[in-house]
Amino acid sequence: MRRVIEGSQAVAEAVRLSGVQVVSAYPITPQTHIVETISDYCEKGEINATFMRMEGEQSCLAALIGAQAMGVRTFTATSSQGLAYMHELLHWASAARLPIVMAEVNRALAPGWNIWTDQTDSLAQRDTGWVQIYCEEGQEVLDSTLIAYRLAEKVNLPVMIVLDAFFLSHTYEPVDIPDEDEAHRFLPPYKPQFRITTADPRSYGALVTPADYMEMRYDISLAMNDVFLQLDDIHAEFSSIFGRTYGPVEALNCEDAEIILLTSGTITSTSRLVVEKLRKQGEKIGLLKARLFRPFPVDAFRNNLKKARKVAVIDRNCSFGAGGIFAQELKAALCNDDVKPLIYSYIAGLGGRDVTPDVIEDIYWKTKSADTPEQESVWIGLKEVSHGR
Amino acid sequence: MDAELMQREFMYPGHVACPGCGAAIAMRFLLKALGEKTVMIIPACCWSIIAGPYPQSALKTPIIHCAFETAASTASGVRAALDMLGDTETTVVAWAGDGGTFDIGFQALSGAVERNDNFLYVCYDNEAYMNTGIQRSSSTPYGAWTMTTPGRDWKKMRKKNIVEILAAHRIPYVATASIAYPDDFIRKAKKAKEIKGSRFLHVYTTCPTGWRIPSEISIKIARMAVQTNIFPLYEVEDGTRYTINYRPREYLVREYFRMQGRFRHLTDKDLDQIQKMVDEDWQRLLSKAGQG
Amino acid sequence: MTAEIKNRFLIPLSWITTEGNKTGSWRFLRPRFENKTAPCSAGCPAGEDIPLIEMLIAQGEFKEAWETILTENPFPAVCGRVCFHPCEGFCNRGSYDEPIAIHTMERFLADTASRYDFRASATDTPSHKERIAIAGGGPSGLSAAWFLSRLGYQCDVYEASPEVGGVLRWGIPAYRLPKDAFLQDLRHLEEKGVGIVTNKRIDEDFLKDKDDAYSAFIVACGHGKGQKMGIPGEDNPLVIEGLDFLKNIREEKSVGCEGTTAVIGGGNTAIDVARSVIRLGGKAVIYYRRRRGDMPAFDEEIRMALEEGVEIFELLSPAEIRRDNNQLLLSLQKMVVSGEESGRARVVPDGKKQETVRVDRVIRAIGAKPQEAWMNPPDNGADVQRLSHSCLVYKKGQKPVVYAGDLTNETKSVTHAIASGKQAAIALDVLFREGFAAVPKKLDLCRIGNGQAHSIEIYTGGRRKERSSHIVEFSEVNTDYFTFTPRIRPPLLLVEERRRSFNEITLKISAGIAIEEAGRCFNCGLCNGCDNCRLFCPDLAVIKNGEIRTINYDYCKGCGICVVECPRNAMSLEEEENT
Repeated sequence: MRRVIEGSQAVAEAVRLSGVQVVSAYPITPQTHIVETISDYCEKGEINATFMRMEGEQSCLAALIGAQAMGVRTFTATSSQGLAYMHELLHWASAARLPIVMAEVNRALAPGWNIWTDQTDSLAQRDTGWVQIYCEEGQEVLDSTLIAYRLAEKVNLPVMIVLDAFFLSHTYEPVDIPDEDEAHRFLPPYKPQFRITTADPRSYGALVTPADYMEMRYDISLAMNDVFLQLDDIHAEFSSIFGRTYGPVEALNCEDAEIILLTSGTITSTSRLVVEKLRKQGEKIGLLKARLFRPFPVDAFRNNLKKARKVAVIDRNCSFGAGGIFAQELKAALCNDDVKPLIYSYIAGLGGRDVTPDVIEDIYWKTKSADTPEQESVWIGLKEVSHGR
Repeated sequence: MDAELMQREFMYPGHVACPGCGAAIAMRFLLKALGEKTVMIIPACCWSIIAGPYPQSALKTPIIHCAFETAASTASGVRAALDMLGDTETTVVAWAGDGGTFDIGFQALSGAVERNDNFLYVCYDNEAYMNTGIQRSSSTPYGAWTMTTPGRDWKKMRKKNIVEILAAHRIPYVATASIAYPDDFIRKAKKAKEIKGSRFLHVYTTCPTGWRIPSEISIKIARMAVQTNIFPLYEVEDGTRYTINYRPREYLVREYFRMQGRFRHLTDKDLDQIQKMVDEDWQRLLSKAGQG
Repeated sequence: MTAEIKNRFLIPLSWITTEGNKTGSWRFLRPRFENKTAPCSAGCPAGEDIPLIEMLIAQGEFKEAWETILTENPFPAVCGRVCFHPCEGFCNRGSYDEPIAIHTMERFLADTASRYDFRASATDTPSHKERIAIAGGGPSGLSAAWFLSRLGYQCDVYEASPEVGGVLRWGIPAYRLPKDAFLQDLRHLEEKGVGIVTNKRIDEDFLKDKDDAYSAFIVACGHGKGQKMGIPGEDNPLVIEGLDFLKNIREEKSVGCEGTTAVIGGGNTAIDVARSVIRLGGKAVIYYRRRRGDMPAFDEEIRMALEEGVEIFELLSPAEIRRDNNQLLLSLQKMVVSGEESGRARVVPDGKKQETVRVDRVIRAIGAKPQEAWMNPPDNGADVQRLSHSCLVYKKGQKPVVYAGDLTNETKSVTHAIASGKQAAIALDVLFREGFAAVPKKLDLCRIGNGQAHSIEIYTGGRRKERSSHIVEFSEVNTDYFTFTPRIRPPLLLVEERRRSFNEITLKISAGIAIEEAGRCFNCGLCNGCDNCRLFCPDLAVIKNGEIRTINYDYCKGCGICVVECPRNAMSLEEEENT
């Protein structure tokens, strides 16, 4: 059924279809529409789950850690400060190998208070052992959420579905909502690979000495690597059922492109217009959308970028002292390759500032005109500031 | 205690608690009362070590170790999952120390009991951060030395009254219990087990290591805490109905304090002051119980 | 699940228990179960295992409790009535609230034994060829016979009277010790096969054993002859010997008691006489040369005598008796305290101050001595061992002789007589088995808590032998496990009833009350299976197998909680050897 819904509602629809059993929530703008919708579905009986109205984000995730350990499917959603507050539990969830799925609405971190989109919150959690999937539009949000459960439960790692504040979370788009049978065919009821039960009492998460700790961490690393293989299979199956195709990245006009824009989230949609326009003007421009960030899909990037001369990475985030995070990761991934493009790093749209087609086009021309990239990330659209004295 | 209760154990020997550990005794008693259909949620605390390193377990029930501040919220989640799985029989227990209850886990606890989430929260109180090596908590009593309240900086603030705070949430059952009174302890644990909603047991557990006392008087000290009214045994139902379970012989607190190294620096004047505080608290409790 | 998970991925999930950690290696103090000696049992002349008896009563195991008495004392019905129960004076509970009513408990067990017709269990004893003759059927002679039979010897008791019992049968009045009570105890002796020959007065030749019938002799003839006052007029027929007076009553002969009877003396016999006089309708006045507090009679007896109407005058010593028609004029010298001697007042005449009273008779009860001189043990010598309660003589070319009972005991009580009989039996057994020289050492080994009393159970290697001789002090009892509870007071016959009959004064108590009272007992030094050790062990290192508790030293960290929480000090904590 096709409906025009918000990105937030797309998450909620996927959660409804997932057969989730325990949902925990603590409100934070701009995540609220997700959990309100789910709450409503729970109340109406359209979702048969316990909806836990927690008193803080750390408790949200802690509750899911407890619930998931007992062998039920779980969900929560948060954003920004809330995600930062969860940080300790993010590590816990992954090291406990719990396939929790969480929607994370990218929002800037305070101070000053800013509720608008910015990826630094989720990217700051890149080392927590969570799979991260960045979405561009409502349909992808819905589909990725269903895919997330399949993936998480296969590799026993938690998955974060990431979407931009407002530009995606609060934007109405037509979305194809699968019917329940279809959804259940793709995502059958949860069968945990292990569960805590009084029938087989175990101590779960106890002290691990140096003698055993490394192997457990290596096992997480292996599981992350396994995500590439598993995700390919899951994407293929998804495609066969729903006819929509996803990959770790999505490439547009990359085969013959000299300059490729590397984007994530809603900036990708805007970039599509720019690519279309400049292609018409004869520019050899391509677009590579990063969907999967953790694990970092090096091969997908390499394969799509190997023919290009230049890559312009647009980061709506910043790791202070190191620059745009996608750019850094890409540089690190390709640095040992013999043939590789020059990587241009741009920071744009922090704190929800609009990244318009003009901004993206400007980035293209800057990249084209510069023979070598700047050492540091280039901040786009900075204005003169007076310090208010 | 009947023979069957005496016989049944849900703990293994070989756990790594310090000699004379009150928390080890408290766990034994609790599980005797609750039985094997129990899931223990244990945040960072002495018991996260006592329970044994991977791949060991000291309990015959499942243990879910969790982050320091999350005992209550993890327990809420476990309960929610069991309910979804149709298991209403299993008792969910959050088992935390005073740090994980009075301090860092306080928000999660308050949140969970405000929601009246259906589990039993047991705080085994050894009155300081013992697992990290004896640092002050908000449960550390007035007058105590710890590694972070050394010398003249001994703690000048009262112990947080966690039981009253929990009672103020109007949850169905709040009670204190002591390792020195096993029958009372087990009765309360059994009673708590049968109640739906949030239940809270505040258990006094001696820490010979941190209190600087010989291990063999571990139980004796716990008994004296009750006998001196420092740790009265009582229950609060629905936040309003108070029952005092033990009318002590009202020993002087002096005897209790003088036995413990952590209070060695206190003068007679300090002890008089503490006696006043204890008497005052006891009078308040009596009046709440309608016996004032 | 384990293998499956482990193959799939590595998670911090346990798959073994902590039992592999042998935490016993941390230990530097070692607790152990160690039963100790209760002060009451060490203070009981007969060495009864009082803490065990009380424990068994509290558990409702009345027959076992009664048999526990029999092990050390064949006379529970007698001692439950007439023992002056020094045990209660030693009772640690006395330092807490009030001593356990041990005496009443013994009486309760005897009553229960009678009610349910308990019979002493047969004991597995060797059968020895030696046969022993015992002169005197009083408490010490009968006790010696009992213990010797239990040790496997044949015995014959020779008694001058028509029935055995001595003071139990012929001395102590029925209101304190009814005849049936004594016969109840006598029955186990008879069932044990002790030969009893009555109406047989023994003379010195008896010891010469012309027929070579015996391997040893025990002389336990008692002090049957009253001592004289040595004053003018004493030989008057109206001056009667107290022991004879009491015996006449027990023989149901008529004794005249009209008018006023002066009783001279301060011991139990004097009190018994005075109280008997009251019961026979007379007026009884006791004259005692020292102060009332110095009277050797039991306080309780004196108190009851006064209740019943006996008058007691102190510091008056008889000086002369004159006949005046059918009455006597008794002159009494006033005495004055001049100092102290062995806890009593030393008195001297107060000048020439005298007073004279008119009485209908004088009954003399100032002490007794052996009937004949040969009954006294010989003077010291290499062949004479003066033991705590008896005297062993083994002259060259003669059979061994043990002098026992009042003949050798400093304290002349029934219970001391029993202790003496027991000592005589053990001494002879040692002598037969290991020789004369081994006797003191062997006796020493079966003393209770290194005190005066001996235990036949310890001597024969029973479980009591495992107990430490350390006598538990009050400070070693964990009184937190006890609450203040007054001791029971057995019901007594009303004083009006007491004045007119020889019915027994102390009445029975119910089993429920007895259980409650016995439950007050600290059971000093004796594990009663309270299980505190097991309950409080943080390390699950106290193991119960059947009724046996052991410590699993694989896990015991030596915290010592079990030792401190043992209410009765039946555990000990000591330094670990390997540290």
